Amino acid sequence: MKEVAYMIVNRLGIHARPAAEIAKIASKYDCNVTLKGNNKNANAKSLLMIMALGIKNGQEVTIAVDGPDEEKAIEALDVLITNNFYED
Amino acid sequence: MIGIVVVSHSKKVAEGIVELSMQMAGPNQKIIAAGGMDDGEIGTDAVRIANAIKEADTGQGVVVLVDLGSAVISSNLAIELLEEEGLNIDIKIADGPVLEGAVSASVQAYIGGTIEEVVSAAELAREVLKLQ
Repeated sequence: MKEVAYMIVNRLGIHARPAAEIAKIASKYDCNVTLKGNNKNANAKSLLMIMALGIKNGQEVTIAVDGPDEEKAIEALDVLITNNFYED
Repeated sequence: MIGIVVVSHSKKVAEGIVELSMQMAGPNQKIIAAGGMDDGEIGTDAVRIANAIKEADTGQGVVVLVDLGSAVISSNLAIELLEEEGLNIDIKIADGPVLEGAVSASVQAYIGGTIEEVVSAAELAREVLKLQ
């Protein structure tokens, strides 16, 4: 079990395209990946669950990973998020 | 990879949903539009849907998203037509909103879900609220 917090700084927040990118990456790993924000939790392997969090610019999210390949999963998601989903 | 077919009474609607879904999934994902009638008029056409299902199938099955009313009837007819042709394609109609369901299903299919997981992704769109 590992958790890392991030500030979402891209202009549109976690809208459809970034949510799809998170789901695509999270789904490559066997571990559970949970995205937490707005006082809600989402299965990060589901596009719609991520979008339903409604994370906007300037909000904090936490990624929680739990499982055998959790280190690799968090590394891959870290690259995506710290590069602002390759937007802006 | 599970294929996706988008059935709408409008050719433009089906094509637009495919355009959006492709943007969200990935370049290799099969998402095929089956909108309108052969002459471009509003309606749904079982033969057009059957052809779209054939085009979408890569051997692992196809999930069909439908818009209103007779889109379901025509899609069921398309499945019967394919069975009569002797084609053994695993086809499931998802009971979800056509646009949100198609986007969700396409991403799930691209990620590499089973046909049941892709249907669930489409049907999850019924429950996700847009306004918090």
